[in-house]
Amino acid sequence: MNEGHEDDRVVNVNAGSDPDPDPARSQDADDQVRQIMDSTPTLLRPGPRRILIAGARRKIAGELIACLLEDRRIDKILAVGEGACPPGLLGHDPNRFMYHTATLDRRRQVDNLFLFEEFREHPLDTVVHLAFSGNPKGYDVSRHEYNVNAARHLLDASLRHGIGKYVFLSSDAVYAVGPRGDYKVAEDAELNLDPSSPKSVRDIIDAEFYCRAKMDSPGCEVMVLRPAGVIGGGVMSGLNLLFESHPPVLPIGFDPMINPTTKERLARDIQLALMLRGKGVYNIAGPSPGPLTRFLEQRGITPMRVPGPLLRQANRLQRMIGQTRYHAEYQPKRLFYSLVLDDARFEAAFRQRASMLSAG
Amino acid sequence: MALLRPDLIQALLPARERERIESYALDDAGAGTDAFGTSATGIGNAYAVAYWLHRYYFRVVSAGHENIPLSRGGVVVGNHSGVLPFDGAMVSTDVFRHTDPPRLVRFMVDFFVYSMPYIGTLFRSLGQVPGTRRNFDGLIEEGHLVGIFPEGADALGKPAEDRYELFPFSHGHVELAARHGAPVIPFGVVGAEEQQTVITNLQPLARALNLPFIPVTRTFPWLGPAGLLPKPVRYFIHYGEPLDIDPAVLESIEVRASEVERVRDAVREQIRVGLEHRRLVDEGRA
Repeated sequence: MNEGHEDDRVVNVNAGSDPDPDPARSQDADDQVRQIMDSTPTLLRPGPRRILIAGARRKIAGELIACLLEDRRIDKILAVGEGACPPGLLGHDPNRFMYHTATLDRRRQVDNLFLFEEFREHPLDTVVHLAFSGNPKGYDVSRHEYNVNAARHLLDASLRHGIGKYVFLSSDAVYAVGPRGDYKVAEDAELNLDPSSPKSVRDIIDAEFYCRAKMDSPGCEVMVLRPAGVIGGGVMSGLNLLFESHPPVLPIGFDPMINPTTKERLARDIQLALMLRGKGVYNIAGPSPGPLTRFLEQRGITPMRVPGPLLRQANRLQRMIGQTRYHAEYQPKRLFYSLVLDDARFEAAFRQRASMLSAG
Repeated sequence: MALLRPDLIQALLPARERERIESYALDDAGAGTDAFGTSATGIGNAYAVAYWLHRYYFRVVSAGHENIPLSRGGVVVGNHSGVLPFDGAMVSTDVFRHTDPPRLVRFMVDFFVYSMPYIGTLFRSLGQVPGTRRNFDGLIEEGHLVGIFPEGADALGKPAEDRYELFPFSHGHVELAARHGAPVIPFGVVGAEEQQTVITNLQPLARALNLPFIPVTRTFPWLGPAGLLPKPVRYFIHYGEPLDIDPAVLESIEVRASEVERVRDAVREQIRVGLEHRRLVDEGRA
C-alpha cells in the first residue's frame, strides 16, 4: 500500500513540475524526488528485496524461505549454510533462489557473499542471521568462533555493503529465569549472565551485544529478535526437543508458564521484521500463555515426573539410551520457573501492520 | 484420585457459593489460565476448601466490605502473622465471599515460595504472584485488587511478645499505588497472631536454607509439619476507608515516608477496631 502511495508521490511530483528540457535541472529534480522519498517515514520498506539468509539449513530458514518466495516483492534470496543444500530447498525457482556453502566464521568468505555477480547490478539489501549453534553437546572454541564471529563478520560486512536491514535471530535463553520472574518478560528484563550458564547462551548474548553496538548505524536497521520456544515442525528448539522426548521428563511439583510459538508463526514474524521498517530488540512469542503441562496435554503427551534434584541425571540417562535430544543443562531452570515473553512491542510495531504486506 | 476431581470438591459448597465461583470472570489467555497463570479450577477448588475454613474453622467476623472497590484496581494492605499465611487466604476468601461480583485479592508473594515444589504452582494457580514491580503493574493495569503485606514474610514469624505490634512497612506499595493512581485499602486481621505461639526464630538456620524464618512454636518442630497447623482461633477482619496516596511520593522521600506512616496508622486503627470487636464478642456483648 505504501509502495503504491510512494509511486503516486513520484508521479504527482513529476506531473506538478513543468517539463524541463535541461538535463541537469531534470537530474536535480530526480534527486529532489529521491530525497523526498528517502525522508518519507514509510513503514513498508520500498522496492524489491534481495535477501541473504545465513543458517539456511535450519528448519526455520526453510519455512522462512518458502514464506518469502510467495511474496512477489522478494526479488532474490541467497541462502547460505554449512554443507550441501537441504533437499527441502532444492525445488525453489532458481531465478529467485540460490544456495551457497560458506564458513561464516571466516571474514573473507562472509565478505565474498556480498560480491556475487548476481548481485552486482542489484545488490543485497537485507541480511537475516539464523546461523547459530545452540547445541551444548561438543561445544568448543570452534563453536564459539562460529557463533560469535559469524555474527560479527556478517554485521560488519552488512554495514560495509550498504545493507538496509540486518536481523539477528536470538533466543529467549538470554533471559534470567527464576522464582523472581515477571508474569511477562519484556525486552529490558534481566539477562542470564550467570557464570554457570551454558557457553552457547553466552555466545548468543555476545552476538546480541555486537548487534546492539551497531544499532545506531544510520544506514542499516539492526534488529534482534528473541523468539519464544518453538513447538512442532521438527525444529531443534529446546522446547520442541522436550516435547519430542519419550517421555518428557519434568520436575515434580513444577509447572511453568510458557507461550511457545510455531515454526509458521515465527517465519511470518521474521518476514514482517524484514519487510517493515524498524530496529531494536523485540520479543516474539506465541499467541497465548499457559502452563507447560497444558501444552503437553493438548498434544496427548504424558510427561514423567522426577524429583527436581534428579532432573539432570534423569535427562542424561534418557539421552544415553536415545529417548531424548533435549538437554536439561542448557536452561536448567526452564522446567521449574515461568518464562512468558511479552511481545507487545512487536505486536504494535509489526503484526498490527501485517495488512500492509498483503495489500502490497 | 477420584476424590480430587474439581466437580466433587466444589460439590462441597452450597449452591449459592458455586454460582459465585462460576460468576467470577477469569480472563482466559487461551490455555485455560489468565496471563498470570490463574486457573478457574484452581480458584474453585481453593475456594471450596477455604470457604469451610472461613466459615467453620476460623469463624471469620468481618466488616467494612463497602470500602473495597467493585470494579477498579486497588491495593489492599494489612498486617501479617501466624507462621503460615492463613491470614492472606482468609482475606482473599472474605473479599471473594462478600463482593458482588466476586473479586479476588491477588497477593504479592515472597519469591522463596515459588522455588518450592507444588506450593509455588498452587499459589500461581490461585492468582498469587511473585512480588515484582512488573507483576504489580500488570495486575493494577488490568484492574485487579493487589494484596500486599508491607511487613514482609518476616512478620509471619513474629514472636508472641510482639503480637499486634506492626513491623516497619516497606515503601513500595505507596509508590506503586501513587504511580497508578490506585487507592490503598487498609485492613487489620485480628486472630492470626494467636493461631501459633512463636517462641523463637532460628535465624541462622533460616539464612542457611534461604528461608525468611524458621519458627520454634509450642507445637513445631515437636509435632513435625503438623505442628505448623493453626489453632482454630476466631478471625476478625476489618477494612478501612480507601486512602488516596499523594502523588508527591514519587518526588519526595519525606512525603513517601509520611504516606507510608499514614497507611501504617490506618492498618493499626483497623487492628484496634478488630481487637475491640473481639473483646465485645468475648464478653458476649456483640
